[in-house]
Formats: sequence, structure tokens, C-alpha cells
Amino acid sequence: MRRLGSYLAVAGGVLLVGVGIVMLRLAPEAQGVLMVLAYVCIGVGCGAFGHGMGTILSRWAVKGHPDVQRQLAIEQTDERNVTITNRAKAKAFDIMLFVFGALMLSFALMEVALPAILLLVAAYLFVVGCQIYYISKYQREM
Amino acid sequence: MERKLYIEEGSDLENRLEQLRRERGITQDELAAALAVSRQTIGSLENGRYNPSILLAFKIARYFGKTIEEIFVYEEDAE
Repeated sequence: MRRLGSYLAVAGGVLLVGVGIVMLRLAPEAQGVLMVLAYVCIGVGCGAFGHGMGTILSRWAVKGHPDVQRQLAIEQTDERNVTITNRAKAKAFDIMLFVFGALMLSFALMEVALPAILLLVAAYLFVVGCQIYYISKYQREM
Repeated sequence: MERKLYIEEGSDLENRLEQLRRERGITQDELAAALAVSRQTIGSLENGRYNPSILLAFKIARYFGKTIEEIFVYEEDAE
């Protein structure tokens, strides 16, 4: 199933890049949303292709090497590694809240368009809301 | 003085892991493979930089045929 997902990501990525290039070729004079959409297709396509191909290649590289596969599985599930990763994520989250705050303040002082600032505030509140939701969820589960 | 209700990472909890491993004559790599953890985890446990989960503590105790208390020693602060 995971393998199928990787191949689908590669195929979807190639398709999106193709669609983006075709859109640029067919309507080189396009303005606004249409032009942005073409570049978004190319960007997302490249991302999906790279992610899928990376997974396929890494799986291919360890194929026929059960020792390496086992070691990789251990490294991924090792409780110390998981703890370190989670602690790093938590630290990065704390920093991100400060960065978001500073960015909102900067945008407000720069008199950036109100919709952009409101989107940023909404994103900030959404992230904080997620944190509260998961605190509540884990309080009930643990 | 306020009594500690938790175990701080890398303090208070001591262990005899390195001593037991040496008595068995096995390397950190071999112990790590037997416990399905990374070698770095074994090194950190032996140095006292990392405290194991209760599951890993049980696995270690079972591997050496001892109780958790025989391997891990929690030194409570004197009031």
C-alpha cells in the first residue's frame, strides 16, 4: 500500500508538472490566477515527484540487505531517537509561535494588506487551537 | 524545601548497565541489537544522559535476568 502511494506520488507529480508546462505553453500571455496556477502545478508536481522518488530510491537501495533494513527500522523506532525528535519539534513549535508573532507585528507595521494579516492571524490561531485540542485529547487518553 | 515529585533527566537515576554488559562480555552493538534499540541509546543509558521508558527498562531487566531495581537505582533526595 505504501509502495503504491509512492508510485502514485511520482505519477501524479509528473502529471502536474506536465499540466503546468502545457498551461504555460498554451497561454503564455496568461495573467492572474491562471499564471499562478501553472506555477503552483509545477511546484506541487516537483514536490510530489521528489518525495515519491526519494521513497522509492531509498527502498530500492536497501532491497536485498535485511540487516540494513532492520537497522533502519530500529533507528526509526528507537525510543531515544523518537524522544529527541519530539523534543526538537516542541522546541521548534515554541520558536515558531514567537516568529509568527513577530511576523504579524512586522506586517502590521509595514501596513501590509489587511487580508494577508488576517490570514496570518487565522493561521496562528489555528495552530494554537490545534495545540489546545491535542492537550485536551491527551489529557483524556493518558 | 520542596520535595521532588519527578525524575529529572540525567540525574538521580543511576544504573549498572555498563557493569552488567561487561560481565556478560558483550558490546554495546550486541546489546543494542538484542534490545532492538540504537547503539547510541545504550551509550546514553550507560552514561546516565538518558533515562529509559518503563518498557525498555523491563526489556533490559529481562535480558539480564534481573529485576528493574537491581539495574536501575533511584536516589531520592534527602529532605
